[in-house]
Amino acid sequence: MTMVQFDRVGKRYPGGKEALSGISFELARGEFAFLTGHSGAGKSTLLKLMMLMERPSRGQVFVDGQNLGRLRAGQIPYLRRKVGVVFQNHQLLFDRSVFDNVALPLQIAGYTPAEAGRRVRAALDSVGLLGMEKRNPIELSGGEQQRVGIARAVVNKPALLLADEPTGNLDPELSAEIMNLFLRFQQVGVTVLIASHDIALIEHMGHRRLILDHGHLHEGQIAGAGGIYG
Amino acid sequence: MAEPKNSVKTQAGASLQEIGMRKRLNAWAANHQLVAVETLMRLLSNPLGSLLTWMVIAIALTLPGALWMALDNMEQLSGRFQASGRITLYLTPKATEQQGQQLSDRIAALDSVANTEFIDADTALDDFRDNSGLQAALDFLPENPLPAVILVEPPLGIEQAALLRLIEQLKSYQLVDSVQLDMAWVERLQAMLALAERLIGVLGVLLALAILLVVGNTIRLAIAARVDEIRVVKLVGGTNAYVRRPFLYTGLWYGMVGGLLAWLLLILCWALLNGPVADLAELYGSGFELKPLSAGAAMALLLAAMLLGWLGAWWSVSRHLDHIEP
Repeated sequence: MTMVQFDRVGKRYPGGKEALSGISFELARGEFAFLTGHSGAGKSTLLKLMMLMERPSRGQVFVDGQNLGRLRAGQIPYLRRKVGVVFQNHQLLFDRSVFDNVALPLQIAGYTPAEAGRRVRAALDSVGLLGMEKRNPIELSGGEQQRVGIARAVVNKPALLLADEPTGNLDPELSAEIMNLFLRFQQVGVTVLIASHDIALIEHMGHRRLILDHGHLHEGQIAGAGGIYG
Repeated sequence: MAEPKNSVKTQAGASLQEIGMRKRLNAWAANHQLVAVETLMRLLSNPLGSLLTWMVIAIALTLPGALWMALDNMEQLSGRFQASGRITLYLTPKATEQQGQQLSDRIAALDSVANTEFIDADTALDDFRDNSGLQAALDFLPENPLPAVILVEPPLGIEQAALLRLIEQLKSYQLVDSVQLDMAWVERLQAMLALAERLIGVLGVLLALAILLVVGNTIRLAIAARVDEIRVVKLVGGTNAYVRRPFLYTGLWYGMVGGLLAWLLLILCWALLNGPVADLAELYGSGFELKPLSAGAAMALLLAAMLLGWLGAWWSVSRHLDHIEP
C-alpha cells in the first residue's frame, strides 16, 4: 500500500523561481525515510505540498490514496487531520499550557474533553513529558518544546508524520533522542518522512534517503543501523 | 482484504470515523459553549480595552433609541390632541333660533362635552361679512345662505373612541345637518411625526453602519493579535468555521454589552427628563408622563445590537481570515 505518491510534480513560485521539478517518488505505508539536501533545495516546499500548504504547479500528489489536486478548499482541514507535522520552530502557542497545546487537534476534530484528555496524556507519555501537562511551553527547554510539538503531531494518531528540520536547533544528543522517538512511531505503523540536513545523524541511522538538489530528486540508500530499504 | 486494512487502521488510526455522529454533535455544541464562555472571559478580563468599543456601540445605539423614545411619547401626546379638536355642528335651515339655543344647552349638559357655543344664522352672516370682504356680494343675496352653528368643545384629553361616540351622537339629532371635526393641525402634526420617524430611520441606518465598522475594526485587531494561533489551528486541521467561531462570538458579546449599556443610558435619559417633563405637563394642566422604553423595545434594541456585533465580526473575519494560511 502506498501512503504518499508524487507523480512528476513541479512547483514554480510566483516570480519564476523553480522550487521543484519533475519529482516522482512513493512512500509505502509504514515506511521511514529522510529528505535531505542543501538549504533552499526545496525540502520545505515538498513537505508543504503534502499538507496543501502549497499546491503544485505541475504533476499530482496523492496522500493515503487521495489526489490532493482534487481536494476543494473546504476539504483541506480533513486532510490535515490525517497528517501530523513537526516544525523546527515547533509552532507552539505560549498563551496556553502544554496540555492545551497538545489537545488542540483533538478539540478541533471534535473529541469530548474526556477522550481528548486520555489521548493527550498517552501522547505526552510517548514523548516522555507526562509530568509537564500544566506547564507553559515557554518554561521548557528546546528539546522539551520539540517533544511537545511531536506529541501534538501524533495525538490524533495520524497515518503520516512529517517533520521539517525537527532537530535543527538541538545538540547531537537531543537530536538522536528525537530521531529515536520518530522511529518508535514508525514501529507502530506510522509513515514517517523527516526533512533534515543533519547528514551525520542520518548516515548513522540509515534508512531510505531522498536527496533534493536544486529542485531535483535523487534516491540514495545508505547501509546503517536501521537496515537497507529498496 | 478487510483484515490488513483493519489492522492498519487500528495501528495508524484513522480516528474520525470512530467518533459517532451524536458524539460529534455533542462535541460541536460543547465547543460552542466553550468558545462562548472563553471569548466573554477574554473581553471581561480586559475591560478597559473593551470599554471603548462598548461605549461607541452604546452611544451609537442610545442616540436613535432616545429619539425613538421621544417620538413614541409625541405620538402618545398627539393621540390626546387629536381628541381636543373643536366640533362644528351645522343646523338645518328650518331650525329656529330658539330650537338651536335649546339644543346647544342640551349638548353642553352631556358628560363628554366641556362647552358649547350657539351662533344663529344672522350672527354667522355678520361675522362672515366682516371677515370675508364680500360685503357687496352678500347684500345682493335674497336671503341668508348660512346655517346656524353650534360649536362643541370636548374636554381636554378625551379618548379617541369616546370622541367618535360623541360625533355619532351629535349626528343623530334631527336639527343637525352635518358635523365637522376640525383636525387640520392634528394632521399636520402627524405628518411631522412621520417625517421625524423617517429621519430617525435614516439616522439609525447610518449609526448601524458605524457600529459595523467599529466592531469590524476591533475584530480586525483581534485577528491580527492572534495570527500565530490561527496559523497553528489551520495547520492541525481547523476548519474555517472553527477559526471564525471565537471572533463571531466576540462580535456578539461586543454587541450585547454595548446594547446593555445603551439601555442603561436610555433609562438614565428618561430619569433625567421625567421630572422636568412632568412639571411642564402640570403647568399645562395635563397628566402627561414621559414613558420609559418598553420591555419589548429594550429587547429589540439588545437583539439589534447583538446582530450588529455579529455582522460586524462576520464582515471583518471574511475579509481577513482567509488570507491567513499556514
